[in-house]
Amino acid sequence: MKFTPRQPGINVNVTPTHPLKELAILAGGLLTIVVGVYLALGLAVDLMVPRLSMELEKKLAGAFIGKIVETEPVAGTTRYLQALVDRLQDRCAPLPYTITVHVKASDAVNAAALPGGHMVVFTGLLAEMASENELAFVLAHELGHYAHRDHLRGLGRALVLMTASTVLLGADNSINNMIGQGMVLTELSFSRKQETQADEFALETLFCHYGHVADATSFFSKIPKDGDPGRFGHYFASHPENRRRIGHLEDLARERGYPTGTPLPLPAELVFTNQPS
Amino acid sequence: MIDLIVFLSLLALGYGVGTWAEKRHYHSIAEREKTTINLPAVTLKSVDIPEHKIRSAQLVHGSAVISVDYFKRILASLRNIFGGNVKSYESLLDRARREALLRMKEMAGDATVIVNVRIETAAIGKQSGRKNVGCLEAMAYGTALTVEE
Repeated sequence: MKFTPRQPGINVNVTPTHPLKELAILAGGLLTIVVGVYLALGLAVDLMVPRLSMELEKKLAGAFIGKIVETEPVAGTTRYLQALVDRLQDRCAPLPYTITVHVKASDAVNAAALPGGHMVVFTGLLAEMASENELAFVLAHELGHYAHRDHLRGLGRALVLMTASTVLLGADNSINNMIGQGMVLTELSFSRKQETQADEFALETLFCHYGHVADATSFFSKIPKDGDPGRFGHYFASHPENRRRIGHLEDLARERGYPTGTPLPLPAELVFTNQPS
Repeated sequence: MIDLIVFLSLLALGYGVGTWAEKRHYHSIAEREKTTINLPAVTLKSVDIPEHKIRSAQLVHGSAVISVDYFKRILASLRNIFGGNVKSYESLLDRARREALLRMKEMAGDATVIVNVRIETAAIGKQSGRKNVGCLEAMAYGTALTVEE
């Protein structure tokens, strides 16, 4: 056999696919999967919340506890708020939660419902309060979120991740701690429907507890007079959404025949928070 | 954010420089393959040449080490997720083997034929910590025979 030197015409060992096309296909595929999982997590929240047991929720709370403990305790205020919540809960809002009130020094005019029955009240909110009834409404509003377990839905997709990691890795794992640290308490978001339901719950609780609904909406309507609109979380009243909420509460009170009465003053130990610091 | 910028810059650098270097290398390979085409390198263990005519027989070898660029590595790691042909490494291996063969022929000088040619491939720096260096070496070796006229 004679050897004839020649070069092969084509290179069979290298696929002629353009590398950028390959990158687009692979990265695109991966991105599609990630987006799909993210969307599925969003859907999973609503499916999971009613099925989440109290015990598991208490374990989830571990990630947030550290954050609360760090803040300076305002002993008298905390005791008073705890007593108020206990009274509300005792007679009018029986929830399967043991609510623990924490006071946190912050300008935010807000309160937050955290997993495991940890209610955080910011001093900025307390400074705006003029009567016990007004404060009771805000606290009962948060209790309303607990009643409907909105506080878990508010965590959104983080809840699915935290639940999965708690079940798989135990209560104190790095994923939970990371989410707990990354979460800003005032950023827990609720939908309009959830807020309305919590408002209704608060109104009923207020009527049940005091026998009247004085000052139920005063907090909403008072704020715009002396407020910096940017800082008032979901209670900011000049927002059209809050005008709607005031209207809804007034309609409801009229419909059900809830009377207005004399609001109770706040105790002296709370008044100090009204002083500009 | 800075991480992302670094990542994307490395990716662009890897693609740009990697493609340029590959193109140049292939060009050079094609040129040299043409000039050395008259020195056959075959995998046969023996050729039909009478023994007294063989003036010398000598071991010749050539090796080439080629590194993977950042773009190819990312492409391959994406492939690791989905499976399938790792197309981005194909050209790397092809270049290394052909370069090794060319160097082997260079070593053979004015030999008549190289018999019993074998090609070996090895990964280099595979275990150097977590950061994979990701080089590969191709080595070609054979026996160069010089035949009397």
